[in-house]
Amino acid sequence: MIRADELTKHFKVHRRKPGFAAALASVFRRRHELVKAVENVSFRIERGERVGFLGPNGAGKTTTLKLLAGLLHPTSGAVTVDGYVPSKRRPELLRSITLVMGQKSQLIWDLPPSETYAMNRAIFDVPKAEFDATLAELTELLELGKLVDKPTRQLSLGERMKCELAAALLHRPKTLFLDEPTIGLDVAMQLAIRDFVRRYNQRHEATVLLTSHYMDDVVALCPRILVIDEGKLVHDGDLRQLVKTMDPDKRVSFTLTSEVGADELERLGAVIGREGTRVTLRVVEREIPAVVGRLLGPLHVADLAIEDPPLEEILRAMFGKAREQRAASEAAEAGGAT
Amino acid sequence: MRRYFRLLGVQLRMSVASAMAYRADFLVEGAMSAAWMAVALLPLFVLYGERDTVAGWDAPSALVVLAYFMGVRAVIEGVVNPSLVELVDRIRTGAFDYVLLKPVDAQLLVSGSRYEPWKVLDLLGAVGVAVYAFVLRGHGPEPGHLLVGLALFATGVAAMYALWILCAAASFWVVRLDNLTYLLSAIFDTARWPVQVFRGAWRIVFTFVIPVAVMTTYPAMALLGALDAGTALASAGGAVALLVLSRLVWRAAIRSYTSASS
Repeated sequence: MIRADELTKHFKVHRRKPGFAAALASVFRRRHELVKAVENVSFRIERGERVGFLGPNGAGKTTTLKLLAGLLHPTSGAVTVDGYVPSKRRPELLRSITLVMGQKSQLIWDLPPSETYAMNRAIFDVPKAEFDATLAELTELLELGKLVDKPTRQLSLGERMKCELAAALLHRPKTLFLDEPTIGLDVAMQLAIRDFVRRYNQRHEATVLLTSHYMDDVVALCPRILVIDEGKLVHDGDLRQLVKTMDPDKRVSFTLTSEVGADELERLGAVIGREGTRVTLRVVEREIPAVVGRLLGPLHVADLAIEDPPLEEILRAMFGKAREQRAASEAAEAGGAT
Repeated sequence: MRRYFRLLGVQLRMSVASAMAYRADFLVEGAMSAAWMAVALLPLFVLYGERDTVAGWDAPSALVVLAYFMGVRAVIEGVVNPSLVELVDRIRTGAFDYVLLKPVDAQLLVSGSRYEPWKVLDLLGAVGVAVYAFVLRGHGPEPGHLLVGLALFATGVAAMYALWILCAAASFWVVRLDNLTYLLSAIFDTARWPVQVFRGAWRIVFTFVIPVAVMTTYPAMALLGALDAGTALASAGGAVALLVLSRLVWRAAIRSYTSASS
């Protein structure tokens, strides 16, 4: 189980204005700024859960993962993974977790991935038979084939990521921290990695924490999501619940087969998209039956689809609102101070 | 402990395989090793062509100091330097994260992460120079002196390793430490001469502050049978103290690691 209580991480960073003069001045006088990367974040994650971290760039997702994996020491608050404090780097814990970072590589550049695997076997002290069995399983799940014997520098980005995943999982960890594992990959490879993560989770009852820029990864893999914005946890729960709370209206898309006036469409719901004969309406949930009846009846539309609003849209609205509120309160504070 | 030796074995095998990936480099490195050995011997021959002793050291004895210098440098350049250069690179790119995620001691893991296999030639060259020095002297070292000489070689390497770790630990805070390692290499270069060659403050610096004497002069004196037990013990003690200090600083450095980039 993973527990985070009032988890906080602050960084002191050096700031300077652009230009040579500012660079010179910064040698003598440094201006530091406190960045609150993670601020009082608390949550519990049970064994076998698949949880997604969502948030804009710089929201604190990766910092939180690094705190959970023990790479960073919290400024305050507490965190435990399976009862261990990660930053103490107990071997027992390190044997049961793994962190995969889409932007960093642990494979040895000049050698085939199989050499990195041999190194990890020595480091994690995995018995030969167990190592062979795990590698065979990962080769099958990830469809590695002969990739493991090609020098890493000759692999494509997608192939390398698959080999990275295998390197990170050879010791059969029970907790997976995945930081942007699909970044830069094409759709087919994204699907393959997604599928692999789900199967690994089911086969080994492993806990999975995932951050991804691709909303589809999170939607497809994680029944539960944690939304982080500016270091603060702003939502923890079911994905559908988040969508319902933030925007209960449905999206109804269809293709017109005959000319329909704008007034007629407005009466059914708010028109939020129209491209030629393709129309998308926002419709209040309880009015769906009536609207669908009218669209399929008198209006004779084709290709009717009813969907939840896209998660990207909801999150954009969510972060936008949070930012507006903050700006308003800061403006009020500034007004009070003068 | 057996696990660590196995791990070191795997790392060594991988470094040799990595070096083999670039075959031409492999040959060039070999030729360079031989050339450097010749360059290291030259100043000594020039100096002793002019005079019989320098600061009480005759040519064969000074050759023993040079042999130790070459030996320590071979180990540092063959094991410690490549590993720590890689460490600095890992800290800069954030790939050091993967080191901290492994269930083994991070310092041990990075200290043997990369080897320069051709430096074995330098080490053999050092042995050759030592053998040549004793041939010139007309007799070999006594077994007891050989034993202490070898033990002090190990502590000399340990002292140099500790200085490198201190430098590497600094890179957790300042990240760019190339200059610091160049400075360290330049200072270590003085270890090719017996410490008695230096006078006044310099001798104090090279004995206590940056103890190059511990790395070459004292071990050479031990091998030549000219070192008293007290100095031998103090020399080994100094190396151990440096090791302990470097370990403490390393641990503090790990705590302040900020993991670059996402």
